[in-house]
Amino acid sequence: MFGKKKSKLGSKKAMLVLGLSCSLLFTACSANKEPEASGGNDGASKERVTLKVEVFDRGNSPAGSTITDNYLTNFIQENFGDPNNIDLEYVPVPRSEEVEKLNVLMASGSNVPDIVFTYDPNTFNRYAKQGGLTDVGPLLDEYAPNLKAFLGEDVLGYGKFEGTQFAVPAKRSYVGKYASFIRQDWLDKLGMPVPQTTEELYETLKAFKEKDPGETGGQVIPLGMTIASAQYEPLIWSFIKPVSEEERHTLVQQLGSNDYPTLLPGFKDALQFMNKLYNEGLMSKDFGLDKDKKKLGEDVATGKVGFYSEDDINPFYEKGTLDTLQQNVPGAQLASVDVYTNEEGKHAKPMYAPNGMYIMIPKSSERAVEAIKYLEWMATSDNLFKLQNGIEGENYTMVEDIPVAVENPTEEALNRMYNGGDMIIVSNGKQLGSLEKNLKARAMQMPKKFQEQVEAAQKIANSDVIAPVLMDRPIEAQTKYGTTLLDKFNEMIVKTTMSKPDQFDSVYESMLKDYMASGGQAILDERTAVYKEMQAQ
Amino acid sequence: MSWNAYFRRYWQLYALLALPMAYFIIFKYGPMYGIQIAFKDFNFFQGIMGSEWIGFEAFREVFGMRDFYITLRNTLMLNFLDLLISFPAPLILAIMLYEMKTLWFKKLSQTILYIPHFISWVIIGGIVYQVFGTQSGMINNVITSLGFEAIPFLTDKNDWLITYLLVGVWQSAGWGTIIYLAALTGINKELFEAAGIDGAGRLKRIWHITLPGLRSTIVVLLIINLGHMISIGFERPYVIGNLAVREYADVLSTFVYRIGLQSGQYTLATVVGLFQAVVGLVFVLGANYTSKKLTDEGIM
Repeated sequence: MFGKKKSKLGSKKAMLVLGLSCSLLFTACSANKEPEASGGNDGASKERVTLKVEVFDRGNSPAGSTITDNYLTNFIQENFGDPNNIDLEYVPVPRSEEVEKLNVLMASGSNVPDIVFTYDPNTFNRYAKQGGLTDVGPLLDEYAPNLKAFLGEDVLGYGKFEGTQFAVPAKRSYVGKYASFIRQDWLDKLGMPVPQTTEELYETLKAFKEKDPGETGGQVIPLGMTIASAQYEPLIWSFIKPVSEEERHTLVQQLGSNDYPTLLPGFKDALQFMNKLYNEGLMSKDFGLDKDKKKLGEDVATGKVGFYSEDDINPFYEKGTLDTLQQNVPGAQLASVDVYTNEEGKHAKPMYAPNGMYIMIPKSSERAVEAIKYLEWMATSDNLFKLQNGIEGENYTMVEDIPVAVENPTEEALNRMYNGGDMIIVSNGKQLGSLEKNLKARAMQMPKKFQEQVEAAQKIANSDVIAPVLMDRPIEAQTKYGTTLLDKFNEMIVKTTMSKPDQFDSVYESMLKDYMASGGQAILDERTAVYKEMQAQ
Repeated sequence: MSWNAYFRRYWQLYALLALPMAYFIIFKYGPMYGIQIAFKDFNFFQGIMGSEWIGFEAFREVFGMRDFYITLRNTLMLNFLDLLISFPAPLILAIMLYEMKTLWFKKLSQTILYIPHFISWVIIGGIVYQVFGTQSGMINNVITSLGFEAIPFLTDKNDWLITYLLVGVWQSAGWGTIIYLAALTGINKELFEAAGIDGAGRLKRIWHITLPGLRSTIVVLLIINLGHMISIGFERPYVIGNLAVREYADVLSTFVYRIGLQSGQYTLATVVGLFQAVVGLVFVLGANYTSKKLTDEGIM
């Protein structure tokens, strides 16, 4: 088949193809290793070392910047890196899949950053349990007095695993979570007062449905609901009955970073109430499909929703929900209210734990000291302030001791701070020394026209809050079953709410049975055992 | 021909084969190294080698999980129903296209039928919610405006099942016709003419010429499909499913995602993966054997 001439030509071509493909294959393999080589240990300057830091990539870098090379990275390099003979290298991790990507990074062995972090306590516990983290306790004592003072014992406690400080938890500048919002213009139209209790709310919702003050043509959704915690938690927790210290520790189930009231007395009543609202047509029919709150946002912005709960300042952003609503429905008003009331007459609702994300140093890291120095620097004197607020006059001006964002900042000034929240890892939110100031600064970032409602919402979010329960040691069953049970918990809410009223009990029983069998019982047993240990001490 | 001469003459052919071989070795056989995770208490700071052997303990744990049986049942159920509904759809569609004589209309319909295949499931999921939602879905808006009760297409498990299957048909049937249309070009046109002269109508011609001409293609596709009975794509059930219908929508792939990627229990996830692979192999071999006995057609 192969002529002599042809075969020569063919062989050359074949070689070329072969060579090309091989080189492709090998470059693909070696590409991963490059950053390691550039970590130059003994280059020209002998003591210069490289510190690798994880950074969240939200894909929002403005032109001229990248997530690994921007104003803040340069600022840190100049002010912390150069004086200490450290080269900083940032390792981007996509925000939306931080846990998955971090797992892969940690498992890869090489090229693990020296500083990694996650919001997920289960991930932290798993790493600590598998022995993958550096004990930072002694390092903090030796190198980080300012950081320790900044965080405080309380926050640091969250970074302990079985008594050892395996993580540096970030500090939150405020712990309030939720507020509720009602269409004030609808109330005015109906001549009704703002409801003060859950019963009054029920009457109001009924009036919204029957009288349709928004003239939605039968599309009214009196209570906007989703299957995200911001919408159902304020409702559910207001039904939880007062419990003893023991019950609080043993019956709560922490799935992921939130506490869940599956076994607490009153939980069934909450579901029953939701069932009633649903069957009377007072609640979003498709709430079980709305995990990311998108549909809810749409429904509020198009003026269909009368009342809903949300993260406290969420509706008030520039071009956010309320802004859009007022464009769609002139005259629409959204008032921040605190309505759901528990047995004791309090507006009980959950709050955040005082810690933000868990900052960790992998055991394999040889730069643990530099890593702690990096965090220490961030918490020292006015470094944090500069990092969080940018340049005076261009990014902010001081008003009553509070940095207020400059109106209409230049493009350059704006681009300076786009990744601020993700670079300043030791703190969640602006830290100005006191909760009052922190909240005020937060409110001042919001549009002026909504200032009053923002402040009201923040106040609501911080009142009558229920603190998360901290156990002495991590509950292994929670790490193991957390994700599965969270799905089951949400499923329980959806199924019981949507069941026919006469089937409610049987649906509830069977869902709870499944929940307990899938790990709920294991968590209960372990928490009971740990609580006993805590009492014995 | 001596071995040496043989090699000198044909070495290019072997060289060309080397790349696909390398591909299979590196990307298909290499990762099998990781199967041992199923038998180890995998600790990713110590790596696969450093982790401890635990024998079949993880298998015992997985087979003791209630969710495993539910997801297994759902996987088999959804795949079986899919086979029943979605498998014949492209066949029927292909025959219809084949019988179509107006060329421009045929081309146009083909293009329209192919498009859904190129839409990602995430987007289809969004469309499905907009169209089938209970409160504000297009179809239910029409139904309620006519004074009827809204149908919970997505939140009642039985209605959801129908939605799931039909969306699957919509997405894949058009694309599936391609392989049948290709097989149809292999049928001798003279057969149709001869049958026509003998007085066979359209249906008779389809039954006696078209379908037998497609028999081997159908059998091969059926065997391949049976091999996939135990595995199920992740996107479709994950995106179309929701909490209200989890009873049916939770399948092995979403189960593996939950315990493996989200909860970091790689050992358990590997066990499920290995289980799927072994059962899948049994299905393929079984189907192939049966088919060879019955029709003399098979894939190996």
